[in-house]
Amino acid sequence: MTDNGSPYRIEVRDLSLAYGNLSVLKALSLPIERGKITVLAGPNGCGKSTLLRAIRRLHKPASGQILLEEVDIAGLGEKALARQIGLLAQSPAAPEDMTVEELVRLGRYPHQSMLQPWSRHDGEALELAMAGTRVAHLRARRLGSLSGGQLQRVWIAMVLAQQTDVVCLDEPVNHLDMAHQLDCLDLVRQLRDEFGRTVVLVLHDLNLAARYADHLVFLRDGAIAASGTPEQLMTEDGIARVFDVRCRVITDPVHGRPLCIPLRTETTGPVASA
Amino acid sequence: MSGLPETVGTIRAPLALGLLALAFVLLALSGVAFGSTWIALDQVAGVILGAGDRTQQIIVLQLRLPRVAIAILAGGGMAVAGFLLQKITRNSLASPGVLGVIDGAALGVVIFLAALSNESNALVTSIAYQPVAAAIGALVAISLVFILSGRQASSAIRLLLFGIAVAAVAKSLTMILMLIGPIYQTSQAARWLAGAVNEVNWGEIQITAIAMVPIMLLVLVACRKLPPADLDEVSARGIGLDLPVFRILIFALAAALTALSVAFVGGVGFVGLMAPHLARLLVGRNIFAGLVGSFLLGAIMLVGADLIVRVLFAPVEVPAGTVTAIIGAPYFLFLLMGKQRHDG
Repeated sequence: MTDNGSPYRIEVRDLSLAYGNLSVLKALSLPIERGKITVLAGPNGCGKSTLLRAIRRLHKPASGQILLEEVDIAGLGEKALARQIGLLAQSPAAPEDMTVEELVRLGRYPHQSMLQPWSRHDGEALELAMAGTRVAHLRARRLGSLSGGQLQRVWIAMVLAQQTDVVCLDEPVNHLDMAHQLDCLDLVRQLRDEFGRTVVLVLHDLNLAARYADHLVFLRDGAIAASGTPEQLMTEDGIARVFDVRCRVITDPVHGRPLCIPLRTETTGPVASA
Repeated sequence: MSGLPETVGTIRAPLALGLLALAFVLLALSGVAFGSTWIALDQVAGVILGAGDRTQQIIVLQLRLPRVAIAILAGGGMAVAGFLLQKITRNSLASPGVLGVIDGAALGVVIFLAALSNESNALVTSIAYQPVAAAIGALVAISLVFILSGRQASSAIRLLLFGIAVAAVAKSLTMILMLIGPIYQTSQAARWLAGAVNEVNWGEIQITAIAMVPIMLLVLVACRKLPPADLDEVSARGIGLDLPVFRILIFALAAALTALSVAFVGGVGFVGLMAPHLARLLVGRNIFAGLVGSFLLGAIMLVGADLIVRVLFAPVEVPAGTVTAIIGAPYFLFLLMGKQRHDG
């Protein structure tokens, strides 16, 4: 409460987290800026998804806190939290015979209760979300009939309809082809620009991360290895240190962002594939 | 289902529910009218409203109306339990039987008959306590399922597997007790196992109805949370529903409804499987319509089954559960085969 003008929407403070005896995050601290896209990246098993899930309180911390506007999220009710932080799961699942509109409507669930059934405001949020993600024309379609790219847009529409200030996305482009990866991340950027959301996402692809991140965070072994702008982090040494990959970093001639060209791993020979 | 135009979709649920309600009323009235003596429908209505001669009054109010009333409650209750289970497990083959509740109740009945009979095979206590034994058996079974599942009780598949295991044990113990027991017990137990709606009095119907009302109210409150429960666990959490906790609540409600339904009428099979499945085919995905439709269809099935056994086998009393099983088992197989075709 002392720091109302804080530029940080979320502050992760001394967060430690373990699965049984296995320590996954170790005394990790991370401020997440309001209205920015923060990308968590790092090698497999570095704890990036765990951190994202902890921010959405899907994992209980062993110690430490996650502060949302200076308030510890540990004390928030399930629905109250869902009104503040939205989440797109890594592999979300819904029945195939559910319609697009039915799914997007579920985004309004945390805003409803016994005494507050579906309202006009819910309807407006629903339409806004479907228009913003360009899925309104699909509203009567069954989920099973959609392509992977369309489906991902519908899920983002659901999270958007939730009208949370913070949106967390766990590897949203994992199973998408190149065109739909860009489409999806452009949509994420739109969440920031048009809807003023604070976005936290986990991305595997470093070059996509560099292209879309305002704030890039490298994790390794459950701790933050580096944190800053893509330009600061995407250096040949920095990438070698975190990812064990020798690479060349050039400036993307189109977007002016750093672009990583992997050469070989530190330990073995040439990298089979990026 | 998906081929229907939008306008048909919006009136489909009310239309289907209206037709079901109509069928339900007609069948319930026929259930009272048919029997060893035919009582015309207008006379039935008259008797219910206080008119008619003494014989008619006894036949309608003491003999026929009770069995129709308990058939409505038990059939509807089991169908709603099945609806909840199919919804929460996302499996159209789930039914109240798989939670072990019905077999637990059966074991309770058989133990009651075996333990409280004297050397000459006569019960030392009143047969009126048999439903109490059934309810205790059901409670013990479902508690056992939850205790065995322990921390995994929130996982639908674990709970179902433990339910099937407990049901299997209860069933074999029931068999053993029936085989080593005297003849009287065996036939009395067999009646209960098949499920029959005769020999039920108004007091028992009152107990069932009074207990069922609060459970149904809870179901109505909980059903608002069923659509988000369609999502995976993480996404459901994302929109503010703690799915594991909610699942346990739904399983508990379904178990309570089942125990209540079978306590007096016995282990009527397949209503809890067929009714919710047909209801969803008729009314679509709407939860409230699905609930009401399931109740109506479950009631229709059990009232109808009882009507069939009365017409076909009179004057011998054949348990109504035999008819639901004869129709239900092929339906189950049909569902199973349809599923395979779909998966392959």
